Amino acid sequence: MLRLIGQRLLAMVPLLLIVSVMTFSFTALLPSDPVDLIIGDRGSEEQYEMVRERLGLNQPFLTRYADWLLRAMTGDLGTSFFNSVQVKDAVLQRMPATLSLTFGSVLISITVGLAAGVAAGLRPGSWVDRTATFGATIGQAIPNFWFGIILASVFAVSLRWFPATGYVPLTDSPMEWLRSITLPALALGLSTSAAIARQVRSAMVGVLQQDYIRAARAQGLSSRRVVLKHALKNALVPVVTVLSFQITVLLGGALIVEQVFAINGIGSLAITAVRQQDIPMIQGIVLILVLVVMLVQLATDILYGLINPKARPT
Amino acid sequence: MSISMKSWVFAAIAATLIAVQPVFAEPSGTFRHGEQAKLITMDPHQHTGGGASYLRPVYETLFDRDPEGAIVPVLAESYEAGGTEMTIQLKQGVKFSDGSDFNAEVAAANINRVIELGVNASMKLADKAEVIGDHAIRITLKTPDPSIVDALTGPAGMMVSMAGMQDSALDRNPVGTGPYVYSAQESREGEVRVYLPSDTFRNPEEQGLERVEILEIPDNTARLNALKTGQIDLAIFLSSPQAAIVDKSPGIQLLRLPGGTTYHLSILDREGTQVPAFADPRVRMAMNYAINREAFSKAVEFGLSVPASQPYTDGLWLHDPALAGRYSYDLEKAKSLMTEAGYQDGFEFTIPSIPIFASRLEAVAGFFKEINITMNIQTVEPGTLARRSRTTDFPATNLVWNNGIDPKFMTTYYVAEDAVFNPFKITPDPELMALSDKGLSMSDEADRAPVYFEMFEKLAEESYLIFITTTPILFGASDAVVNNETVQYRPGTDTPYFRGLRVDN
Repeated sequence: MLRLIGQRLLAMVPLLLIVSVMTFSFTALLPSDPVDLIIGDRGSEEQYEMVRERLGLNQPFLTRYADWLLRAMTGDLGTSFFNSVQVKDAVLQRMPATLSLTFGSVLISITVGLAAGVAAGLRPGSWVDRTATFGATIGQAIPNFWFGIILASVFAVSLRWFPATGYVPLTDSPMEWLRSITLPALALGLSTSAAIARQVRSAMVGVLQQDYIRAARAQGLSSRRVVLKHALKNALVPVVTVLSFQITVLLGGALIVEQVFAINGIGSLAITAVRQQDIPMIQGIVLILVLVVMLVQLATDILYGLINPKARPT
Repeated sequence: MSISMKSWVFAAIAATLIAVQPVFAEPSGTFRHGEQAKLITMDPHQHTGGGASYLRPVYETLFDRDPEGAIVPVLAESYEAGGTEMTIQLKQGVKFSDGSDFNAEVAAANINRVIELGVNASMKLADKAEVIGDHAIRITLKTPDPSIVDALTGPAGMMVSMAGMQDSALDRNPVGTGPYVYSAQESREGEVRVYLPSDTFRNPEEQGLERVEILEIPDNTARLNALKTGQIDLAIFLSSPQAAIVDKSPGIQLLRLPGGTTYHLSILDREGTQVPAFADPRVRMAMNYAINREAFSKAVEFGLSVPASQPYTDGLWLHDPALAGRYSYDLEKAKSLMTEAGYQDGFEFTIPSIPIFASRLEAVAGFFKEINITMNIQTVEPGTLARRSRTTDFPATNLVWNNGIDPKFMTTYYVAEDAVFNPFKITPDPELMALSDKGLSMSDEADRAPVYFEMFEKLAEESYLIFITTTPILFGASDAVVNNETVQYRPGTDTPYFRGLRVDN
């Protein structure tokens, strides 16, 4: 297992390098110009050149990339074009909000998805199954930002049970932290829980027809034990695969849901950076998010092995 | 005089002194303002675009506009302007929040920094600032520019302490002379900015608040929800369905203040190089008459905008009442002008669009279709509209005119041969340029206004700028804020005055 982790970590290096080249190239290809946004329409050519030089944008592409790469290798992802904020600091500062939201929604997805999937899978064709399948279809069809707006209107604006906007760090107040992420995590987790429910249902239906399940029942094991110990454990393997994909989707969805609830996470940072063409910030965000996704994939592989020894890499 | 008599006299004097000593209410309450723009920098000299409210609690400007729109000195005591020179006498006894003194050396260094950084376009005609006394500076201009005083009411006129200017982290560590100081400890980056009363502010009676919070909420729905639930007291809004909802929600109100932006089309190819019809002013007038601005406002801008036939809206010193309704909707007149010009069968042209302008252009295209003009809409990359409008790629474009800027920019934007948005390098009517020069030679707004009215009249005749609607500055405010007389708004901008503001919460 340790060898696998080492190999996968090493493989991340060239991948990150490729991502950095691609991000750098794409931002260079953008038709708009950050200097225009800094000086506005009323700026003179002289001002334009002055700012362009200050930002180093008058340098050739390769020189800029080489400079950036050398600094990035020492952990310096550069400074925003628009202020003195270090890219690394900005991203790390906002990571807790996005991760809180993502993991809160993962928790909701797993809880709701597993419960609904198992309930449906145990009695295929029953009203429970039909209701769960219908709910899952609706859940996957509803955009999470729209669901977020509905949740905010009902539970924040009308009932005042939760705050309509903002994020409170866990370290400031655990209770307020929980209140601040409940609605956005629910909004974000809806479609993932629907995807998990569908996956668990079909996996459960398949597993429950296997010979070893019949053998377990024949041995006189209780239905609860058969489901929890034998069926669910095997049904979880494809669920982990779905979850690893869904975490990437959740990170993407968090960018939008953060806007609806005015949560200051990576999403709002990314949107501002893209609007302003803040190239160092865009590169930093992409690179760190790619790194997070790769780490999630690695964690998934490890989890496979833990759940099912047959799936353990040799 | 006996000792006891002396004691009585001293006691009486002391009692009198205590009685006349001004008694100020301690700062109390928190005012929460919702900003649509994210905070980019607290370095005023690097600041561009929206979000000036993040700077206002901390920084004072050399001049400001009072609620009636008149320019008044703040850190300046008085000024004299003429030709290419402006001398400013500065206020004495002012301290920065870091304890240092405000004087001519600091003021000149601030102005020179603005010029050197080159970010603030309103100062591009300024050449240098010099110290001419302990509390007097002289600003030299490259060419006469009456708008320099107005420029100094904004971020270009915000004064930073000498140490602040040398701090590489000034953008998150502002040091001004204003009534409040920024508290980085209590703020949450990207979410809420907290300001507390400054110990060094010279007028404690104007520090009415214990705490100012400015929340960064770019999403319209989130800002509306925050306002509805009382998380914020005041919020800036753009023309949007959410702004229209504010008016219909109990406990909150929508305030429409003069200023904002005027949406307009600009015919770039007015000599007809690419689209011959554009060379005929009757065709351009027909286009102007063909637009039903009332319907446009209702259908596209949620009824929040007002019809426009000139760059500045009612309530501003540059609004000419004589031009109001100049191009009211008149389809028959439009058709007849097209016939007169020989274009009754119409013609076709292409205009660039960015996503936020798409619905506006679709509506305008519908109006033009009525006079057989086919306006094709070509989407360009967001952020590139201004740049593409400076090229000959398109014979016409669409932009917004900021009502807060000086009318001199009308010439440098559209009229002059080397104007930013005159890519076909069309030589302007000498009369227009003469009016523009005349406007630049005066410094008093009352003198300048009639000159620019004449210029706008001339532009209306040429009809290559087709003004459609002006969206005022929109604030959503709680009933308590609306009824609070200490909450006042800086004319033409999206910021309230924080000095003197008091709340009871």
